[in-house]
Amino acid sequence: MSPVRCRSWFHRSIAAVLSALVVLQSAVGEENILIDAKTQGTIPIRLVGFPREVEDTLTFDLSVVGFEIVGPGKGQYEVRGGADPEVKGVLLEAGLNQPRFSRAYTGGSSRSQAHALADDIVKEITKLPGIARTRIAYRSVSGARGSHNQLLSEIYVADYDGANAVAITQDRSVAVAPTWVPGRLQLLYTSYLSGYPDIYSQDLTTSARLPVAHFNGLNTSAAVSPNGTHVAMILSRTGNPSLWVANLDGSNPRQLTRTSGYEASPCWSPDGRTICFTSTAEGKAALFTVPASGGAMTKLKTGGILNCTEPDWSPDGKWIAFTRAAGEFKIYIVPASGGTAEEYSAGEDPCWAPNSRTIIFTRGRDPSRRLSLLDVPTRRVKDVTRISGSCSQPSWTK
Amino acid sequence: MNQLTKIGLTLLTAVALCSVGCKKKPSNITPLPGAGQSSAPTTSFASDPIRTTRPSNTGLAPGNAFQPGNDSGSRAVPFDPNAGTQKSDLSAPLGGTDANPGPRPGGDKPEDRETLKGDTVYFEYDKSAIKSSEYAKIAAVAEYLKSNAGDDLVVEGHCDERGTEEYNRALGERRALAVRERLVNLGVPASRVTTISYGKDRPVDVAHSEDAYSKNRRGEFVLLKGGAAVK
Repeated sequence: MSPVRCRSWFHRSIAAVLSALVVLQSAVGEENILIDAKTQGTIPIRLVGFPREVEDTLTFDLSVVGFEIVGPGKGQYEVRGGADPEVKGVLLEAGLNQPRFSRAYTGGSSRSQAHALADDIVKEITKLPGIARTRIAYRSVSGARGSHNQLLSEIYVADYDGANAVAITQDRSVAVAPTWVPGRLQLLYTSYLSGYPDIYSQDLTTSARLPVAHFNGLNTSAAVSPNGTHVAMILSRTGNPSLWVANLDGSNPRQLTRTSGYEASPCWSPDGRTICFTSTAEGKAALFTVPASGGAMTKLKTGGILNCTEPDWSPDGKWIAFTRAAGEFKIYIVPASGGTAEEYSAGEDPCWAPNSRTIIFTRGRDPSRRLSLLDVPTRRVKDVTRISGSCSQPSWTK
Repeated sequence: MNQLTKIGLTLLTAVALCSVGCKKKPSNITPLPGAGQSSAPTTSFASDPIRTTRPSNTGLAPGNAFQPGNDSGSRAVPFDPNAGTQKSDLSAPLGGTDANPGPRPGGDKPEDRETLKGDTVYFEYDKSAIKSSEYAKIAAVAEYLKSNAGDDLVVEGHCDERGTEEYNRALGERRALAVRERLVNLGVPASRVTTISYGKDRPVDVAHSEDAYSKNRRGEFVLLKGGAAVK
C-alpha cells in the first residue's frame, strides 16, 4: 500500500498516459446504483499537479461524497493531472501497477471539465453516480424585506456547488418551494404573483410558464412523481390544507387526505407508488405515507421524534430525510419503512442528491440562510460557497 | 456542444428574454399565455396572473416577461372542468367549487388594512384553534361585514418563525380558515371571505423572541372595499 510505488509507476508511464485522450461525453443519468449510504468511510485521495481552480473544484466535488484530500504519502488514491488548458487526470491506486484510468476532457470550461473528472473518479472508486454536474433549484430572498416585512424571493437554478446561478423568476414577488420535473429542464414552484399562492410550471428551455394549481386558498408544496406524470401538492380548496394529486398540468386533481389536521410538504417514493408527507392528524406534526392512488394513511415510525416536517425520500428508496422543528431545526434520517430516526445536522429542508448519499439542506436563518451539503456516511457538512444572498428550499435535479 | 453547454446557453437565453417589456392587463381572469404559440417577437403580452390581482399593497410588480414567441398567445387554464363539485358552505368554502375557480372575492376592490386592524386574531404556538379571548374580535368583524354589504374580506394567516417554511404555509392557511369558518358560522356568506397564508414570510416583528413570536402568530383582516353588495 505504498504511494511511492504509485509515483514510480507514474514516472515510467506518464508520457503514455497523458497522451491518451479520452473525450468525455457522458451525461447525467447513470443507472441508479444502490449502496448503503451508512456503510462507507472516508476515502483518502491526493491531488497532484492541477492548477488552483481545478484543484479547488475537485476538492469540493470529492469532499462532499466522502473523500478526504490528503498530503503526500497518505493517500490510498492519487490523481495526477493538469490543465493546459484541457483538464487531464490519471487515477492511481496504491499497490496497483496499472492506473485505474487516464482521461482528458474537452469542451466546456475548465470547471466543468474538473466536474467531469471528479464524477469519473467517484464512479470508478465508489461505483456511485457522480453528482458534480447536477443542478439545484432554490429560493433566494432578494434584498431587504418589502412592505409588511414581506420577504421577496425568486427561484434560482445553479450548479450543485452554487456556481452559475441563474434567476428563473424575476417577478419581484414571493416565489418559493421549487421542485424539478424528473429528467426534464422544468420546474414547478409556488408564486404569490397573483397576490395569492399558486403553483406554476416553467419550462427552462422556453421559459414558458403555465399555472398548475390556482384554486382559492393555498396552492403550494408541489412534488412531481418520479416518472414525471403526476404532481402531489397541498391545496386548501375544500376547506383545509390537504394532500392532492393531479396530472402534471394540474388536471384531474384528486384529494388524498381528509384529516382533522392539515398536511404539508409531500414527496414521492422512487417507485412512484407512495407519497410521504407531514400531517397534524394526530396532533403534533408527524410523517405519514399514503398510496399515490389513494387509500389509508399510515404513520411512519420515527422512534418517538415529533414535529417532523419536510420529508424527502432517497432515490434508492431506503431512507427518508426530514426536518425536526423543535427548537433549533435539525436534519434527521429514518429508514423508509420506519424505525429509529437519527440526527445528522442542524438545518432544515433536506433534499437527497441522485447518489442517495449526499443531502442538500438549509442552515441559518434569514436574512443569511445558506445552502449546505451533508455527506451522510461521513456526516461531513460543507456549505455551498458560491451562492450569495439568503437561500432556502433547495431541490436537487432528479 | 455537450449537454452542459446547451443547458447553459438555454438558461442565458431565457434570462435575456426576460427583459422584454410587458403591459398590465386589468381583466378579471387573465389566462397565462400558452406554450408553443408563435407571434411577432415584439408583441407585448399580458403577464398578469391568472386571477384577479389584489389592487394595492401587495408589493407586486408586473409579472415577469417570458419568451414572447411562446407566451403571447392565450390559453385556457388547464383544469378538468369535472373535478371537484362540492357545494356546501364549509366543505367548499372558498368559492372555487368547480375546477376552474374563477376570481376570488373582492375583484379589483381597493384594500383597507386599517378599519379592522384592531381585530387581529392571535394564536398559540403551533395551534390554529381560536382562543376564546379572540371570539369578540371575530364577532365584531362579522357585524361589520353585515353592515357593509359591499365589502369583502381577506383573512391573512401568519406564523412565527419556529416552523419550517412549507409547514408554516399550511399552518397559516389553517389559521385563516379557522377564522373564516367562525365568520361563516356567525352568518357571513362564505363567498365574501377568502384566505391567504404567508407562512412566516411576513412577521410583524422580526426579532427572535417569544414577544415577537406571539405578535406574529396571527390572522389579519383586510377589507376589500366595494360600493355595492356582492351576492
